[in-house]
Amino acid sequence: MSVRLAYEAATVGYPGVEVVSSARLRVAAGEVVGLIGPNGAGKSTLLRAVTGSARISDGEVTLSGRSLAGLTPRERARRVGVVPQQVSATFSFTAREFVLMGRHPHLGRLQQLSAADTSLAEEVMARTDTLRLAEEPVDTLSGGDLQRLALAQALAQEPEVLLLDEATSHLDLNHRMQVLDLVRELADAGMAVLAVFHDLDLAARYSDRLAVVAGGALGEAAPPPAVLTAGMLSEVFRVRAVVGADPVTGAVSVTPVLREEAVPAAGLGSVLVIGGSGTAAALMRRLHLAGYAVSAGALNRGDVDQAVAAALGLEHVALPAFGEVDPRAEAAVARMAATADAVVVADVPFGRANLGNLRALAEVAPRVVFADGFRGERDFSGGEAARLAEGLAAAGALSVPGDIDSVLAALERFTAR
Amino acid sequence: MTAAPHPGRTRRTVVLAALLALLAVAMLAGVGLGAVPVGPADIVRAIGRALAGEARVPGDAVIVDIRLPRVVLAALVGACLASAGVLYQALFRNPLADPYILGMSAGAGLGAVIALTLTASATALRFGVVPAGAFLGAVLTIVFVVRLASLRGALDVTSLLLAGVAISYVLSAMTSFVMVFFRESMTSVVFWMMGGLTAASWPYVWMVTPMLLAGIAVPLLSTRELNLMLLGEDRAAELGVDVERFKRVILAAGAVLVAAAVAVSGLIGFVGLMTPHMVRLALGPDHRVLLPASALGGAVVMVLADLVARTVLAPVEIPVGIVTALVGGPFFVWLLVRRNGHR
Repeated sequence: MSVRLAYEAATVGYPGVEVVSSARLRVAAGEVVGLIGPNGAGKSTLLRAVTGSARISDGEVTLSGRSLAGLTPRERARRVGVVPQQVSATFSFTAREFVLMGRHPHLGRLQQLSAADTSLAEEVMARTDTLRLAEEPVDTLSGGDLQRLALAQALAQEPEVLLLDEATSHLDLNHRMQVLDLVRELADAGMAVLAVFHDLDLAARYSDRLAVVAGGALGEAAPPPAVLTAGMLSEVFRVRAVVGADPVTGAVSVTPVLREEAVPAAGLGSVLVIGGSGTAAALMRRLHLAGYAVSAGALNRGDVDQAVAAALGLEHVALPAFGEVDPRAEAAVARMAATADAVVVADVPFGRANLGNLRALAEVAPRVVFADGFRGERDFSGGEAARLAEGLAAAGALSVPGDIDSVLAALERFTAR
Repeated sequence: MTAAPHPGRTRRTVVLAALLALLAVAMLAGVGLGAVPVGPADIVRAIGRALAGEARVPGDAVIVDIRLPRVVLAALVGACLASAGVLYQALFRNPLADPYILGMSAGAGLGAVIALTLTASATALRFGVVPAGAFLGAVLTIVFVVRLASLRGALDVTSLLLAGVAISYVLSAMTSFVMVFFRESMTSVVFWMMGGLTAASWPYVWMVTPMLLAGIAVPLLSTRELNLMLLGEDRAAELGVDVERFKRVILAAGAVLVAAAVAVSGLIGFVGLMTPHMVRLALGPDHRVLLPASALGGAVVMVLADLVARTVLAPVEIPVGIVTALVGGPFFVWLLVRRNGHR
């Protein structure tokens, strides 16, 4: 596909400030490229450089091979449409007049709007679900309506490149999908789209490639799974996150677990958490934030609890997906249990595969806390798990209600020094 | 609403025709009313005779040589001030901008007074030098005021208005200083400064007319850009306006208009503020209508204000600037109060 927008070692910024240095990026017809990065990293500045609102102090930006420097503002506006972060409307033009302003770069000085212009405006308003607002004064409309009108205005420019600067930030769920689906459709029909996203899941879902803007540099654009990694999130966004796949769309999905800065330094004591199937994720996070040195028992890969334990950097025994807690894993868990001040058994169902997690606790029964007790419905092992639990209870294991605060209260007796 | 592709065009024609008719009526009233009232038919006949070069009848001189140039000049000055108001309101995206409040009138005044005193002996020079001095004063003032208001980064409106008012005071003081130094011309300058059309004559008309045409031509060809400027400079640039160049062109065009008005009539305030505002309330913000309608509206306002100035205390004449300030000051306050009430 042909390259529509290219940053060729472009350094962009404002008078006296370089915001992003030597940026290289090519956006081809038919693709959506997403820009992600922390606030103030220069994502918007990269877009603004294309429309002359930010300065290109070195290198160049080209549109379909032509340097921006050689284009008049009108020529540029025929090629590039922008949907800004914030649309201001302090004067009472009607929505239709507002959208028709997008025709400006196509009209000669004395040329009047033609029937073709007005029907084009109607069409783009219909596509952005704003036609019903046509006669409303724009200064009475909501931020979401204005943002869709700005998109309609940009489309009225008939651009080959569309720049979106967090264009969906003021939209409700329905309109956000509508606008981004429309953008996807436009790209599929040949438009080149460069979009700034704050929502990483949306970025992953709608972009063909993502590029990270951070520390004054633009990273290489690559497919979302290659960019949205736990390492990148920790380094660039300073967040420990679980990176998984959205169960519905299959797109990469990011669930932030905690901020790097929020990890407490002081240790309250050590706790081993026995979990699985997502029963321990919240508990591990809370214990970790509260200042406990948390470790986890044996967990299967692909399990949320394992992903969270990994994201938090907790010591744990990682099993293959659907793998059993074999004697070796059980021994490892027993070793962890022996050194922990306390062991919390989350509300996890036990079957043949994970019985080992329970068996490993035999030696430390007085330091075991069952969250939400141990009821029969958690036993899928034909009575074996229940028997083990009864044994532990007889040897001094506690039962507390399942909520996290009760668990934290129970732990104090083991770890208070 | 309507399927017609250009619903605005016929409306625009109707509005402008109505304003033109209103202006004609106002001008007839302006010429007709005075110490010696003259009927509309007599006015038309007298003008007809003058245009055809026929012999004058008694009374023609009052109409053709005294009242008519004054009314025409009032209309031209009103058109200049109101158009300039429209331009600055678009440029600064604020309905409170006006050449008087921005200090441009005072700047043009100082420029004109300096030009006036420098050429005191050579009357012939004045027609070229006084407007040139006024233009220079207006341009320097607006550039300075805008710089001052954007010292802390982006141009913010409160700073702009404050800077304009402050600079206005300084420039007025400097004007007074110049006048004290050149005592002999003081009385006429003082009267001129208060804003008046007493000295109106045909040569003034011939001087202002080309300046009005020159100042309003480019903006009339750029009404779409003026509309786009209302969306903010960044958005205007995104939609294809060469913002920096356009701002300079409009600032200069506005300065020509202000200079024309100030050179012949001194400091007349609030016409550039009130007129566009009333037109905008009635007809909306679209400059394709707003600019020509404000020019015509300003002409009407000025002709009527001058009529009041001449007749209300007859035979004493009060400077028209006093009339516009008495009406415009409270209007400005009302605008401020209303604006704050909205926020």
